[in-house]
Amino acid sequence: MTPPTTDPRLLVHAYVDGELDPAHALEVERMLAADPALAAERERLEALRDAIRAQLPREDAPPQLTRRIEAAVGLRRADARLAPRPSWRALAASVALAAVLASGATWLVRGPAPADTTADMVVASHLRALMAPQPADVASSDRHTVKPWFNGRIPESPRVVDLASEGFPLIGGRIDVIGQTPVPTLVYHYNRHVISLTAIPGGHPLPGGQAQIAGYNIVSWSDGGIAYWAVSDVAASDLETFAKDFRAANP
Amino acid sequence: MASLPSDDDRARFASVVLPHLADAYALARWLTGNRADAEDVVQDACLRALRGIGGFAGVNARAWLLTIVRHAAYAWLGKNRSAALLMVDDLEAVEQQQAGGGGPDGGPQTPEAALIAKADAVRLEAAIAELPLPFRETLVLRDVQGLDYREIAEVTKVPIGTVMSRLARARRRLIERIATDEPRRAS
Repeated sequence: MTPPTTDPRLLVHAYVDGELDPAHALEVERMLAADPALAAERERLEALRDAIRAQLPREDAPPQLTRRIEAAVGLRRADARLAPRPSWRALAASVALAAVLASGATWLVRGPAPADTTADMVVASHLRALMAPQPADVASSDRHTVKPWFNGRIPESPRVVDLASEGFPLIGGRIDVIGQTPVPTLVYHYNRHVISLTAIPGGHPLPGGQAQIAGYNIVSWSDGGIAYWAVSDVAASDLETFAKDFRAANP
Repeated sequence: MASLPSDDDRARFASVVLPHLADAYALARWLTGNRADAEDVVQDACLRALRGIGGFAGVNARAWLLTIVRHAAYAWLGKNRSAALLMVDDLEAVEQQQAGGGGPDGGPQTPEAALIAKADAVRLEAAIAELPLPFRETLVLRDVQGLDYREIAEVTKVPIGTVMSRLARARRRLIERIATDEPRRAS
């Protein structure tokens, strides 16, 4: 983010919290290098953060509380089954459900959506990214910046190509979680629309290669053991062209 | 126009609220200071959430629920610990005057990072519990619950700049507290 302050003593917090965009982070790093007192403060803040994380870990809600809540809202059945623990599946379902609701396609919703398919999850990730301040966590049109950004975050960097000359400029990348696996997603523009391209190593592409979910087009294919999922609100034919250009491009 | 919750409302509640119950409980516990009251607050919040589930915009379920939990906790504090809330106004005034203050050299003692790293759970918990409410909730949302600044601003209904200054002051107090604890323990 662009911080609402220039006070280095506040900016160092935002730096430690990972809240700064690359330009401001770099600026803080310069200040840290020049100011030993500020650098010492950074060390203290990181020590405090790590101590809290280690000593006060997140706890599950007590089981009796979950049962009590389910009873209070009328979800609890007569049988004494244990309350479901919060899970990635439930989170993904709630995000996918949110995606469907936000699209205005409420006629699709009858109770909780069984939304654990990859297609639902890539659409949900795309939608969530559109609602974030920026659709990419690393914003760069330079594939030599985008590709290394994935190193250390996920086991394998994806193939990154810029398709600006084809009309699909690369604008950055982010990590999405599909199922329980963090996977790389490249972000492209097309006429001011955003295209998310998620690469799932060892994944399966969409049967049939094309679909539409909640108003978003999906084009999916497999290449070199990697399943690619392109999601956007651009026309299906334009997304097909994008997929064709991506496959044809030399990295 | 409150109507009885429908089965659809309950189904949405199950997918939107239940996954975040642990976060709801954690925030309630830090705000009320104990587990039994936290459970009452979470139940109150969940009933509010069920009634309001139709108004949930579908973007950030956790921040939405935590906002409701915070409301419920403040209502509980108003009834049972009104002194805790009275302090808020005074603090806000101080905070306004000293916005952005509390720098590296601001404290009476500034321990080394190694000393902070050694702080145990009991001491950290006590130091956080002693923080005035606005500082405590900001620190807990960030450092215990892992919300980002934007989400904290949404939950606590203040601008991001205020989130930043509260976070800085909360951490400064914790660091000073750890420093002043240590000699007493050693003696």
